[in-house]
Amino acid sequence: MEPRVPIRLGVNGRQREMAVPARRLLSDALREELHLTGTHVGCEHGVCGACTVLIDGTPARACLTFAVQVEGREVTTVEALAEGGDLHPLQRALGEEHGLQCGFCTPGILMTFAAYLRDHPDPTEDEVRDVLSGNLCRCTGYQSIVAAVLKAAHALRMKAVG
Amino acid sequence: MSEDFTQIGRALPRKEDRRFLLGKGRYLDDIAAGGALHACFVRAPHAHARLQSIDIAEAAALPGVAGVFTGADLAGWTAPLRLAPPIELLQPTEMTTLPIDKVRFMGDPVAVVLAADRYIAEDAAELVRVDYEDLPAVTTIAEALAERAPRVEEGVEGNLVSHQSFASGDVAARRAEAHRVVEARFSLQRHTHAPLETRGCLADWDEGREHLTVHVGTQAPHPYRSQLAARLGLSESQVTVSSPDIGGGFGQKIALYREELAVAALSRHLGRPVRWREDRIENLSAAAHAREATCRTRASVAEDGRILGLELWMEEDFGAYCFYPANYMARVVAMILTGPYRIRDYAYDVKVALTNKCGSGPMRAPMAMASWVMEGTLDAIAHDLCLDPLQVRRINIVRSADLPWRMATGEVLRDVTPAETLEGAVAALDMPAFRARQADARRGGRFLGLGICTVIESTTYGSDFYKSAGIPGSGHEAAWVRIEPSGAVNASVGLMGSGQGYESPLAQAVAEGLGVEAETVTLRMGHTDIAPYGMGSRGGRGATAGGGTLYLCAQKAQARVLEIAAHWLQVNATETLRLRAGRIERRLSGAWQDAGLGLADIARRAYLDPTALPPGIAPGLDVSLTYDPPPMTYSNATHACEVEVDIATGRVTVGRYLVAEDCGTVLNPIVVKGQQQGAVSMGLSGALFEEVIYDPAGQNLSATFADYLIATACETPEITILPMHTPSRHTPAGMKGMAEGGVMGAIGAIANAVNDALLPLGVKIERLPLSPMAIRAQLRARERDPPE
Repeated sequence: MEPRVPIRLGVNGRQREMAVPARRLLSDALREELHLTGTHVGCEHGVCGACTVLIDGTPARACLTFAVQVEGREVTTVEALAEGGDLHPLQRALGEEHGLQCGFCTPGILMTFAAYLRDHPDPTEDEVRDVLSGNLCRCTGYQSIVAAVLKAAHALRMKAVG
Repeated sequence: MSEDFTQIGRALPRKEDRRFLLGKGRYLDDIAAGGALHACFVRAPHAHARLQSIDIAEAAALPGVAGVFTGADLAGWTAPLRLAPPIELLQPTEMTTLPIDKVRFMGDPVAVVLAADRYIAEDAAELVRVDYEDLPAVTTIAEALAERAPRVEEGVEGNLVSHQSFASGDVAARRAEAHRVVEARFSLQRHTHAPLETRGCLADWDEGREHLTVHVGTQAPHPYRSQLAARLGLSESQVTVSSPDIGGGFGQKIALYREELAVAALSRHLGRPVRWREDRIENLSAAAHAREATCRTRASVAEDGRILGLELWMEEDFGAYCFYPANYMARVVAMILTGPYRIRDYAYDVKVALTNKCGSGPMRAPMAMASWVMEGTLDAIAHDLCLDPLQVRRINIVRSADLPWRMATGEVLRDVTPAETLEGAVAALDMPAFRARQADARRGGRFLGLGICTVIESTTYGSDFYKSAGIPGSGHEAAWVRIEPSGAVNASVGLMGSGQGYESPLAQAVAEGLGVEAETVTLRMGHTDIAPYGMGSRGGRGATAGGGTLYLCAQKAQARVLEIAAHWLQVNATETLRLRAGRIERRLSGAWQDAGLGLADIARRAYLDPTALPPGIAPGLDVSLTYDPPPMTYSNATHACEVEVDIATGRVTVGRYLVAEDCGTVLNPIVVKGQQQGAVSMGLSGALFEEVIYDPAGQNLSATFADYLIATACETPEITILPMHTPSRHTPAGMKGMAEGGVMGAIGAIANAVNDALLPLGVKIERLPLSPMAIRAQLRARERDPPE
């Protein structure tokens, strides 16, 4: 059997340890080792964006990252977005605007914009579409996702003010 | 729409959303299975080759590998799929579970490795040594139909798997008397469904109970189970099919695929759970393809643009394997081609050929091409006669006074409003303003275009449709509604959604029929031990067949509830009672009043105090019903699309896009709008970018998302829906169905718009996709070879 490499990393604010083969993808390690199945695998070649997670706060494709590369880093997945049972404003807006259908691309879109709106609180529609172009959705036609992101941006700004 | 509905038509949020937003959806790969083996398939690198030998020794010896199996092994445990419905000029086809003698396309699975994890399984797959003897491949329909072409399937002579023709009226006489005869040509490229979640399954054979459980994302769980049991030689009692949440299907998740059958057979053989998840390359190259067809039309027309007669020649490239009768999809295109236009004299000739490419199947709007071909023909007529394309539509369109309209093929349009949606779209567009802008832009060297496409969408596919099409099978649906002792309402139906969001709209159909709030109804779908035997989700039958059956079943349940209530309240006739929001109401002097009883009271008596029930009423509140919808129901819509073509780069930018739509009674406007926008954007993505490309040797050149291009948020326009719904009088609650027509309309509208833009340049696009390269190639050819 393949040799395993012990690694330590932070996942959703908790320190985790695991021993994985060096070639194990981060997406597989999250899903199979840690049972965080909210991170979806859609293409395994970095195009569809369904597996997007945050590594030290920056969006990254978990399918193009080896688990051993995140030794000592902090990984955030979709499971961490809702706080204490309260949906994140992005989650709420996607639901309200019908910005999801089959739901398979949704976690990647949530993580992409959780980071983007943190850094760009007041984006234009064109900017949102540009960022969203890194995530494929086969169901919605995107316009409801764009509307949801703009709505969430507004809600987050209000929250920051209030 | 009926004013009386309280649940149908509500903008109820989707019940699925919470779990999906939290990352708590449960898709196939999220189901844990201790000790499961992982399957990986060895796939042919050749389009057509004889299998000389397969050496599994090195692969089987790799630590962690549980076994390597070939087509010969699987033939011992599974029956082949033979398709031989009694359809005229349809040649029978047959395939084994995995190929034994030869491979028929690049990606054909020739062996399967089972290992402790996916990584090891992939390592071992690379160690399987297969000796191939290359055979000449046919990769285009012209090659397939050429004389002495190599045969894709030995039993299919000339590769012509289906040839159908039809004539009504006298098209030759119409041609002779016509003012003009206008010909047009349409070539739709090969597509693939590309759901974000690829195919996969988890099979678990319970040796003690001799029972197989298969978790698989399938749109049609019961027909899938029937197929699976039959091919494994098991009874339907020995197989449970359970569908988890599905990350998109679009028609790709209906058939029982060879990989899934192999995995199920191997779980049984080894007595262990086996799971399989294909990767994206496999999904794009070896799951299922769709659509590749060319149509030629010849319209005989009067001076004013009236169509006197229409002829169609269609050729479809079906790929190497038939999971469906090969005539099925092309037949629907030919059957509904004349759509909402008054054309009495019509003839078609439709050929379907096998080629050495991935097998084809239905993809969201299997009849997608029909609207483009008809509406493109109308534009060709307008161009040829120098008439306004809108005028040509107006003079030919079926109006309400013509209804019911019997198409030349015998299909009947009832309760449709194509003239109304056409005028609705035209009014919203402001055509004169657009034409002025277009003329202005042209003076400035910019090329704007406008395309219109009216769609007639076939939805219900009742059993009579299948019978008259000669296809074995049924179009019925089945449902149950159970009021539990506490008054909780559960319901089930044979459909299985693949992301549309069935749970709220179908709960609304139940709630309306029963008389409760939709929030209190829970739908249980996708599990063959729970759901009744229905025909599943495909086409536009979800609302009409599924929702309709649930609505009727819930009405039957309400009648039972009211019988018990009438006896309880000592009322003679149930007509003076109704159930509303879970409360029994009684009509007294014309006004409905609460009768002091709730559904929970009735349920408690029905289950726990049955001796208090009226004579003749059995205990419990468990109602089931089957329903066969009309052979066909049609909804309709008119699409309008504005584009700008950059003639320097060939780039098409979609500006306004609107759809005037009549899909009858709407169960849930949120879901209907989402389906319409999703369908339109899928159609636009296909028309603009997507293309499965094979080289002349049959090598697939488009097996990644960097090559098979799907539109992103930057290329997809805002889509405006103008609801113009009118109820059907022939379906439960007046529903007509939708969710495929958007694809049909989008392909036609954008192709017509691009051609409108290019008209002054003398360029006409007859082949999709409308990619920058394709448009530039045509413009360059025109520059090199200008018209006289």
